[in-house]
Amino acid sequence: MTPLSLRFAGRELRAGVRGFRIFLACLALGVAAIAAAGSTAEAFRRGLASQASEILGGDLAFSIGQRQFTRPERDALAARGRVSFSVATIAMAQAPDGERRLIQMRGVNTAYPLAGQVTLQGATSLQAAIATRDGVAGAVVEQPLLDRLRLKLGDRFVAGNLPLIVRGVLMGEPDRLSRGFALGPRVITNIAAVEQGGFLAPGLPFGETARLALPPGTPLEAAKADLKRVLDPRVRVRDREDAAPGIHRLIDQLEYFLGFIGLASLVAGGLGVFGAVSAYLEVRKPVIATLKALGAEGALVRDIYLIQIGLLAGLGVAIGLGIGAMAPLILGALVQDKLPIPALFAVYPGPLAKAAAFGLLSAAAFSLAPLGRARSTPPASLFRSDLSGTLKLGPEIVGAVLAAAGLAALAVATAPTPLAAAIMIAGVVVAFGLLWALGWGAAILAGRARAGARGPLRIGLANLAGPHSAARTASPAIGLGVALLAAVVLIQSSLLAQVSEVAPRTAPALVFTDIPGERTAEFDAAVARAFGQPLTPKTYLREPFVTGRITRVRGAPVDPARLPRAERWAYDSDISMSAIAAEPDGAGIVEGRWWPAAYAGPPLLALDVKAAKGARIKLGDTVTLSALGRDIEARVAVLRKVDFGGFGASFPLVLTPSAFAGADLRQVAIAKASKAQEAAVIQALGPAFPQVNVISVREQLEAATDLFDRLALAVRGAAAVAALAGLLVLTGAIAARARARTREAAILKVLGASRAQILAAYVLEYGVVGLIAGAAGVALGYAAAWPVVVKVFKAQWSLDWAGVAALLAAAALVSGVGGLLAAFQALSKRPAPALRAD
Amino acid sequence: MSEAFDPLVLEAISLTLPSAAGPVEILRGLDVRVRSGERVALVGPSGCGKSSLIAVAAGLERPTGGKVVLFGQDLAGLDEDGRARLRRGRVSLVFQGFHLLPNMTAEENVAAPLEIARTPGATETARVWLDRVGLAARGRHYPHQLSGGEQQRVALARALACRPALLFADEPTGNLDAANAGHVADLMFDLVAQTGAALVLVTHDETLAARADRAVRLRDGRVVEAA
Repeated sequence: MTPLSLRFAGRELRAGVRGFRIFLACLALGVAAIAAAGSTAEAFRRGLASQASEILGGDLAFSIGQRQFTRPERDALAARGRVSFSVATIAMAQAPDGERRLIQMRGVNTAYPLAGQVTLQGATSLQAAIATRDGVAGAVVEQPLLDRLRLKLGDRFVAGNLPLIVRGVLMGEPDRLSRGFALGPRVITNIAAVEQGGFLAPGLPFGETARLALPPGTPLEAAKADLKRVLDPRVRVRDREDAAPGIHRLIDQLEYFLGFIGLASLVAGGLGVFGAVSAYLEVRKPVIATLKALGAEGALVRDIYLIQIGLLAGLGVAIGLGIGAMAPLILGALVQDKLPIPALFAVYPGPLAKAAAFGLLSAAAFSLAPLGRARSTPPASLFRSDLSGTLKLGPEIVGAVLAAAGLAALAVATAPTPLAAAIMIAGVVVAFGLLWALGWGAAILAGRARAGARGPLRIGLANLAGPHSAARTASPAIGLGVALLAAVVLIQSSLLAQVSEVAPRTAPALVFTDIPGERTAEFDAAVARAFGQPLTPKTYLREPFVTGRITRVRGAPVDPARLPRAERWAYDSDISMSAIAAEPDGAGIVEGRWWPAAYAGPPLLALDVKAAKGARIKLGDTVTLSALGRDIEARVAVLRKVDFGGFGASFPLVLTPSAFAGADLRQVAIAKASKAQEAAVIQALGPAFPQVNVISVREQLEAATDLFDRLALAVRGAAAVAALAGLLVLTGAIAARARARTREAAILKVLGASRAQILAAYVLEYGVVGLIAGAAGVALGYAAAWPVVVKVFKAQWSLDWAGVAALLAAAALVSGVGGLLAAFQALSKRPAPALRAD
Repeated sequence: MSEAFDPLVLEAISLTLPSAAGPVEILRGLDVRVRSGERVALVGPSGCGKSSLIAVAAGLERPTGGKVVLFGQDLAGLDEDGRARLRRGRVSLVFQGFHLLPNMTAEENVAAPLEIARTPGATETARVWLDRVGLAARGRHYPHQLSGGEQQRVALARALACRPALLFADEPTGNLDAANAGHVADLMFDLVAQTGAALVLVTHDETLAARADRAVRLRDGRVVEAA
């Protein structure tokens, strides 16, 4: 850059940004989407960080399963700060009229909560509400339980065998986000009552959490390390910095998904940028040639226009950043109270800088090639207007390729899962290439087909084949937008079908937990009576159930922190296991042989292949399991593929019954049942088996379907941003030909064409563009969605024909309407001036 | 710069351009020499190759065959930027369609070639030249605010402000009415005489051609008469 090029660029910019509206809109749209996604995610991260202590319920949290903290452990905790204790379990709640419902029950001590407030309705103090009075403990419960059991404040109900009285409606707990998913409405009572109800016996599926508030100024890491030394190694320790890791991961993924849509719209809009820069430089061709005739070198000419495009790109990015920074602020102000996650909406420079980098790189990737052509514009074009610059390998092409590579590298580097990001970006590049090739192919085909056509059809085909064909410019951009939208629609519809149609057919309807091991026959009989039919292995399966974790492999301790995050689940928390003698149906054995039904030797293990993958466990390895408070050493005899969503013995770990010899294990059962059978068995088990929890899978699936429905709209809305970029490019393509079309329409009128014929020609031209883009976009969306549904989510593929048809029709319709508007614009001008102006 | 060489020597120039209907021979073996300070008119009917000859002679277009020598330098060995550098400050062009830079004022247009050649005092020189063509008061006007005659006078000032040794003028009065055409032609010949530049004037106007030192007549891409 030289002062001369800056001076000349400044003079050239005097004409304003009229020809650059599409350029600015394309850049601003993508940048705004990325900036808004990043700013919103940052607002959530800061919100979570600002309430980290409330979310965790203290500075440190210590959790242990199937037992309570021992006296020495309690003393060690109490010595280091203020401590609250809480226990959590599930139970069946029963109303006086016999109506029953699974609940997520929590017992807390008097110190709870250490941070934040429990929000209640109908009660002012949690501790007063849950206190035991006249031998009956109080409880605060969520509204859905009151609705389901037809209870009101002051009414009594039982949880298992524990009588409780409703003293308040639970609206919110400060530490809810750190506790994850609930299987039923939440209920809080006092810890002594839960113990009195028999829920805290060793081996039962409950957990206790101690939350510790450190004295001010105590270093967090030192306190954590100090306590880790004195506590049982199985105690899970979390600190306020990592209060809700699941939510953090969700925010990261959501930010990336929305950011990716922004990136895709930058790529789709890139054609708009390319088109706008090319059209502008075409208009400036006489100026460029004159400058060269006056002695300007190619580099000076290139720099003059590079500075202008750079300034305009800066303006587009700035507009995008403004919108992207403001949108979350406005949205936040409107919905802050309804958000499930705390958020601190503000202008954050980090996400804005990232969005700006994406915008500028995309502007460079799509603008530099036309600038290269401008540099090589021959001055002889002053004498022959058909002469244009040619695209040769030079600094501009190298710069464009580097910018595109930088764009991809930045997208991969800032993604939470770089591999997935790399695949997605490669997909966009391939899709874009295919759509571009298809556009060229369509233009060539139109050129061949016009020979046999007549009238408006021939005009439409000729335009499609011409040098400014929208098939080559707009259709790849629209196609990319449709492809993204189609992929999202198809993935969502398949997953929705999976939870609402496929899963109810294949998964059990009911799961029964905590069946007493000594009363299994009586239990089976009660279920059969309630179902009104005999139980068969196809509809009912009951097995022993224990939880535990893998602690050592081949004699060496397992450190979950060193395993890949996706494969840690079998090692960093308790997972379900069973003891089964004979090989169950559909065992899914991949390697090894199931043990004989009467096997009584040293413990053998059948392990899920995915669980084995984390610690590279092979057939014949010894594995130490921690279960029922003791270590069990077993040899891996079987590696099998467990179908966790299906009807079968879906335990990642199955031991020989000899491993638990002498223990009277609680059992778990699954059953297929109609809705009526489900209601009947829940009621019927009340008197004889109050401690047996009945989990309705149907209810969980309904909740998932509901959540999906709510998410679907938001995600589709976001994907529509990319389609909007396609629309902008179409508008740009239409606008770029406006003058030529006006002249063409004038000539056609002079030649005797009717308005209807001219309208038909343009609607046909753009409708075909939309149809090609829509069909190719849907096909590419299908290609992207299928592996995600089938391979990643392991769900059944189901094609949403209505959604696909709607997308196709919308693409053709929108483009056709674009053509119609273009025709009206051309026809609105009188022919004589249009012809004279040339 | 010493000008020991003739400003322009064209030897056996041919130019064939591709077209949809096949190659078209525009120029067919032309020889033209222009000496320092000489005023040469290229005359001929439309389509005879006059403008193409200017494009080739000024180094804006490469000939298909033959040799173009500008100030002793064979253009064949120069790339486009090299030809631009060679033209800078020594060769100027005036076009029938004016080709003023639309976003620059009259003053900026005249200063542009001086600025490109990094000549100090470009703006002051531009003002002087605008005064010489009678447009001192119009310096801040944009091309679209000027009449055709005024635009061509600005183009003349722009062409001559860098005191070129060779001026190509392609139908400089072709887009003007008779009064303006006469005024611009007078101005051009006066200024060329004052600066001592050689002039290659393309025209089909015999009266205008008669004011040159000699006329070269073209037909179908060939020289049919060199006076």
